[in-house]
Amino acid sequence: MKMKSMKKVVGPEYNLGDKIKTNVYAVGVAMQESVYPHTATVFYPRERKKMPDNFRGFILFDPDKCISCFNCSFVCPANAIRMKEAPNKRYYPTVDYGRCIFCHFCIDSCSGGALKATKIHDVAYKDMDAMFTPTEEMIELPEIIREDKKYVEYEIKEDDLHLKRTKGEDYLFVEVPPPKEIPMVSTCIDPGSCIGCRVCADVCEHGAISASVEDGGTLRMKIDTDECTGCGLCVKECSMQILMLNKLERE
Amino acid sequence: MATAMGAAGQSEWEVAVPEKPLKDKTYFENLKAKVIDTNLCSRCLTCAAICPGGITVVGNKVDFPDYETKCLDCGACVRVCPRFVYEPKSGLGDYIEFIAGRSKRFAGQDGAMVTELLVSALEMGMIDRGLFAGRDEKWATEMFHVREPEQLAITTLGGTKYTFADVLPALKEAVGFTKRGVGIVGTPCIVSGVRKLQQEYPIFRERVKLVVGLFCTENFHYGDISKFLQEKGVDFSKLIKTDITKGKFIATMSDGEKVKFKIKEVEEIVASGCGVCTDFTAVESDASVGSVGSEKGFSTVVVREEPAKKVIDFIKEKEHADFGEAKPEELDYLINLKKGREKNINSDAASS
Ligand SMILES: Cc1cc2nc3c(=O)[nH]c(=O)nc-3n(C[C@H](O)[C@H](O)[C@H](O)COP(=O)(O)OP(=O)(O)OC[C@H]3O[C@@H](n4cnc5c(N)ncnc54)[C@H](O)[C@@H]3O)c2cc1C
Ligand code: SF4
Ligand code: SF4
Ligand code: SF4
Ligand code: SF4
Ligand code: SF4
Ligand code: SF4
Repeated sequence: MKMKSMKKVVGPEYNLGDKIKTNVYAVGVAMQESVYPHTATVFYPRERKKMPDNFRGFILFDPDKCISCFNCSFVCPANAIRMKEAPNKRYYPTVDYGRCIFCHFCIDSCSGGALKATKIHDVAYKDMDAMFTPTEEMIELPEIIREDKKYVEYEIKEDDLHLKRTKGEDYLFVEVPPPKEIPMVSTCIDPGSCIGCRVCADVCEHGAISASVEDGGTLRMKIDTDECTGCGLCVKECSMQILMLNKLERE
Repeated sequence: MATAMGAAGQSEWEVAVPEKPLKDKTYFENLKAKVIDTNLCSRCLTCAAICPGGITVVGNKVDFPDYETKCLDCGACVRVCPRFVYEPKSGLGDYIEFIAGRSKRFAGQDGAMVTELLVSALEMGMIDRGLFAGRDEKWATEMFHVREPEQLAITTLGGTKYTFADVLPALKEAVGFTKRGVGIVGTPCIVSGVRKLQQEYPIFRERVKLVVGLFCTENFHYGDISKFLQEKGVDFSKLIKTDITKGKFIATMSDGEKVKFKIKEVEEIVASGCGVCTDFTAVESDASVGSVGSEKGFSTVVVREEPAKKVIDFIKEKEHADFGEAKPEELDYLINLKKGREKNINSDAASS
């Protein structure tokens, strides 16, 4: 086989003008550095590195948005999330930071947008047990002593990384728009297995399910999709576990 | 107008309401009058499995405390109770194969073929959980959902317990969890209960994949049999096996000691529902297993339906068990004995 012709990398050819220009620039940089030394080192804690918005740090939790769906605890690959019963009888997540690998799958999976990412990455614990974070401690940020006066960013300019220092404190929250609410209604996925116990109708707080006996020995079950709010209570309580929330389509 | 999207669910449906012989009474009172109070009840707990209200066992009887306020009058109990409209079954039924088997992997009552069938079905992926009737240290039954063959390390899962087990309430729970299917084992009355549940509700039809029946002549309420055995000097902490063979009840202790007595002595405490039970071989099961019909150390296996045949073929292919010859005629005596109980069924209480 014939070798393809190779390209030779040729060094730049400087003319006199270019040579003077680069030497003057080098002397300039040297003089600038001797007067006001430039450093690439970040002086922690007085300077913080500015983290991008997709940084995965400490997890915050808003109980008002949590629907206790357990999604976060199911999805957690590190088994760091345990659901614990709160005094209001609802189940809320707790995070064991001794296990958490900061994948934020939990945040991505949260149906209600109750879990939120922050850029906090430097929480200190006395021991492993203290790394277990109960729900109460996830609602507010942990106590932070902030000594940072500047934050540091790296900017890419013409293939070069440039360090930029800005005075002030970096904002540690990440604002994410709340997830779009998808209207849901309850439906029966296995009508043949319905035993007609009417438990669903009894628990529905919106009177959306009716069960009426017709002559000839049939019970007519009906879910009024206009009344159903998709709260899911009937789904949870159904004796045969045959109700399921489905997306609502308005015509 | 709004509709629910997708073919997955329905917003309107109908449920057939069963007939109520005593019109102005609740369904539970109907069940009680027709089955429980007439001593027809086998304590299979099919009713309790389906009942959303709270049918349970009180002492030796199936009951529903506070039914006046708690029965939802849905009728599910009478729809599934195999003895509400009792069609007594008997005989050996049709079968594909009649063999003796002894598991090479497990120890059990006889040849541990029940354990072998359920574990092999798990390994084949036919089911993802098998329900076993285990026991506590006082020999009261406890239900176990076996999902991994390793769980059989609990040695009390195999072996016969001569007292009722709450198999069907556990089955109701299991069908809610299962992805592939559930396998169960039970006495003939329990097998009839599963078939009733399957006949009435698709959820059981689709999710119960293997039903193994046990040969059965009688069973006992826990309170009665434990009291009786204690009076006979049986120490539960040492009891490792109970068996009924050749008219004798034999309790074997861990030190090898045996307490034996004639089965006649326990006749009085045989559960009343067994007195009207005519099915010895669990004719409705996919496969039934028992000790009569084969040599000591082997289980007699009657393979009736395709799912059980597949599992047996798998066991043969993997050489998990030794097989031998079983003799159907050896079952005749007990089959006829049980068929004879038909006369105990009060004709106006049973099917008419
Ligand atoms: C109450 C009762 C009466 C019986 N009467 C006879 C008889 O008269 N003649 C005869 O040949 N065989 C009878 N058998 C069957 C026999 O005792 C063995 O269970 C059968 O031979 C299977 O043995 P194996 O070694 O293959 O089962 P194993 O592998 O030991 O498994 C037995 C399985 O039976 C289940 N089981 C045990 N006790 C109960 C219970 N009370 N209710 C529901 N499930 C239970 C357990 O889950 C266990 O997995 C009876 C069984 C029972 C439970
Ligand atoms: S970030 Fe990942 S590992 Fe940590 S709790 Fe959430 S899901 Fe679990
Ligand atoms: S989802 Fe909620 S509102 Fe809708 S029918 Fe069920 S209980 Fe009623
Ligand atoms: S609770 Fe479930 S089983 Fe009972 S009537 Fe409603 S849908 Fe049917
Ligand atoms: S026979 Fe079974 S289903 Fe019928 S009442 Fe008795 S326990 Fe319930
Ligand atoms: S609630 Fe339904 S299943 Fe239970 S006892 Fe009443 S009628 Fe029977
Ligand atoms: S004899 Fe066996 S199958 Fe029949 S009712 Fe009694 S326990 Fe059930």
